[in-house]
Amino acid sequence: MKKTTKVSLCIGTLMAATAIFVAADHIDAPGSMGTSADIADYFAFEPTTGSDNTVFLVDLQSDVLPELAYGTFDEDVLTEINIDTDDDLVEDLVIQAIPRDGRMYFFGPVAPSATGRGSEVAINSPLGDVAISGSTAIVETTSNGVSLFAGPRQDPFYFDFFRFNEVVAPSPEDNSGFNNPGMDTFDGANTMTIAVEVPNTLLGQTTATNVLGVPVYKTWVTTNRKQ
Amino acid sequence: MKLNTSKYWLCALVFTATLLSCSNDDDNDMEPIAMATCDDGIMNGDETGVDCGGSCEPCEIMSMDPDFSGTYAQVDFMGRPGINTVLSANGDIKDMHNQAIPSEMGAMFQPGFETQLEALHDAYAIALGLTAADVDYQPNILGDILNGPDDDGFTNNPVSAEVLTTVLATDVIEVAPNAPTTYFNPGAGAPTYDGGIGLTGRTPQDDIIDVSLILLFGGGDGARFNGEGGLPLLVSDGVSLTAILSDSFPYLGNPE
Repeated sequence: MKKTTKVSLCIGTLMAATAIFVAADHIDAPGSMGTSADIADYFAFEPTTGSDNTVFLVDLQSDVLPELAYGTFDEDVLTEINIDTDDDLVEDLVIQAIPRDGRMYFFGPVAPSATGRGSEVAINSPLGDVAISGSTAIVETTSNGVSLFAGPRQDPFYFDFFRFNEVVAPSPEDNSGFNNPGMDTFDGANTMTIAVEVPNTLLGQTTATNVLGVPVYKTWVTTNRKQ
Repeated sequence: MKLNTSKYWLCALVFTATLLSCSNDDDNDMEPIAMATCDDGIMNGDETGVDCGGSCEPCEIMSMDPDFSGTYAQVDFMGRPGINTVLSANGDIKDMHNQAIPSEMGAMFQPGFETQLEALHDAYAIALGLTAADVDYQPNILGDILNGPDDDGFTNNPVSAEVLTTVLATDVIEVAPNAPTTYFNPGAGAPTYDGGIGLTGRTPQDDIIDVSLILLFGGGDGARFNGEGGLPLLVSDGVSLTAILSDSFPYLGNPE
């Protein structure tokens, strides 16, 4: 195949592929896009310098575009924070969250009954539960120092998404890349947040490290629908 | 019919008696009857449950634990932000990603990610009037930070397109329990990158789009496609945080 043909194909593919997607994980894939199980974003951090806690924030759904599911946690959707502590990319611990009748119930951190794509609620390891908030945050703090929250929050993600879709499909007429300043597509957007802050003692030691040799938990989040 | 009528009158009588009882200011007349009825271990009078409801204390809703039974199957997946979005060539690959697990992602997605990274560079080559071969990914600043300042970023830098996409294909985010959270910080910048560190987590403040763009398009000094000298701006989307955050849990502001 001639190179120019190949490149034209590439560009065509890019244009087709980028018509609708949004980062970070907002509206990312046809199979989950805009559903009640759509993960919008995920954060994992130390809340303050020197803290012995770790915070996990999971943003589900988003009202960044009008046609998306937004505003209600789905009782058939189990959100699972996965934590690998020995660097084999398999979850050693999970923290789960699932809503029932206006409350969000949390379970773990606990070794899951099965790893991989299937999950069951770890009913023998309840962590606590919290009323699902309205616009004002309701926070539950458990006796073992865990903080829990579920409800609508401002979507903190920022990205010039509309320009991005043009940037990845440049043409001789428009090849200047991003604008500076750009325009934050997510300004004013809200998301349904599940937040949990846990003492590191509940997560235990980790033998995994990042490329700089710093000990880390390797973590990811999944949503899982009841079968 | 007759029976129903009788039942109706019985109900009416009980209702009237209740009204009379309630309207009576002298509680002493009512309480012994109510106490006896509401404490006798059977459902009688106008009770709607055993010793509750009607003129007794309201019945408590049976406190049963919610039902959490059943099996759940993975629908959506996320680790590191943005990468799957930028480097997946189409929606089918994104759906595959959401059905994948980290231990299989490297082999599953690295080749496609590398192709896509080069395709993005090729698209700019054509748009700028060059041939695809003229514009390729260049090893990024992570290589200099990892290798130290002796590396010039172009010859000995180990972070090739293959190395970078191998790292990125496995979609997990690393969070350090005992170190400050820094998504990525180039420190003093090229060429020494003093104080440069990262990969210890992600906070809502972090400009993960700019970091991702710098690693994908920034080359050895992080500023390759910087919008100057006829080059496109590909190392920043030009926006910063607009949402209101909170210093305390849950760290995100009230909805707008």
